[in-house]
Amino acid sequence: MSVFHTISISASALTAQRTRMDVISSNMANAETTRAKFVNGEWQPYRRKRVILQAQESKFTPFLKSALGKERVGGGVVVKEIVEDDTPFKMVYSPGHPDADGSGYVRMPNVDPLREMVDLLSATRSYEANVTVLNASKGLLMKALEIGK
Amino acid sequence: MSLFSGTIAALEGALSYSTTKQKVIAQNIANADTPNYKAKDVRFEAALQKSVKSAIEAKRTDPRHLHFSNSPSVSGTVLTTRPLSYLHNGNSVDVDKEMADLATNQIYYYSIADLLGGKFQTLHSVIRGGK
Repeated sequence: MSVFHTISISASALTAQRTRMDVISSNMANAETTRAKFVNGEWQPYRRKRVILQAQESKFTPFLKSALGKERVGGGVVVKEIVEDDTPFKMVYSPGHPDADGSGYVRMPNVDPLREMVDLLSATRSYEANVTVLNASKGLLMKALEIGK
Repeated sequence: MSLFSGTIAALEGALSYSTTKQKVIAQNIANADTPNYKAKDVRFEAALQKSVKSAIEAKRTDPRHLHFSNSPSVSGTVLTTRPLSYLHNGNSVDVDKEMADLATNQIYYYSIADLLGGKFQTLHSVIRGGK
């Protein structure tokens, strides 16, 4: 049992939520990007990215501890991967655009700013909740140091 | 009578329980956005039962009477208690409940730490002959 395990759990969540915010920033910044990838001589628009979170429980130690009948808390959360959203691109009629196809339509990224803002708020609130837990854990450790004073 | 008379051991067990509880709350809040994560909780009934069984048996004239126990060791076991879904993604963490538990646990830990500190203070006072 490590003394700072609680703090590392909260820290892993802070990292994960910050990664989520980074990905949301990237999505918002590229909401109008029509040239993200060059595939087979053709420009592909930006695809919305999303973060896949996973509880860090699949390692060996938790199973050993549970087999020994000890506590089985887990080690926080990790960003397992960042995947691309496969929903179709938005088609916008803009004949003057250099990336427009034969009938004057341009493929725009599948980023929905509204959804990104909601995700951003969710990530912010999660971050704040984890900061609160971290401060509380710090308080407990500081209080433990005061025993016997 | 032993010098520490079991009080310190009991308080130590309570601190250990509170530390585990804190870890579990941190883990639950860290995974508040993880799909299919199920919230965990700490229970110490099992540990309490074990402790009660190993203690002296009291003569009970009514089944509702409590057992006697001279050394309550409270450590706790971590369980997955809510296998249901609270959110649409299979997650069962209720952040409001976890934050309330966090506040409760903080006060609990502080009070136990204070008690433990007070106990040492008393012993200290006795050792110094009340000076």
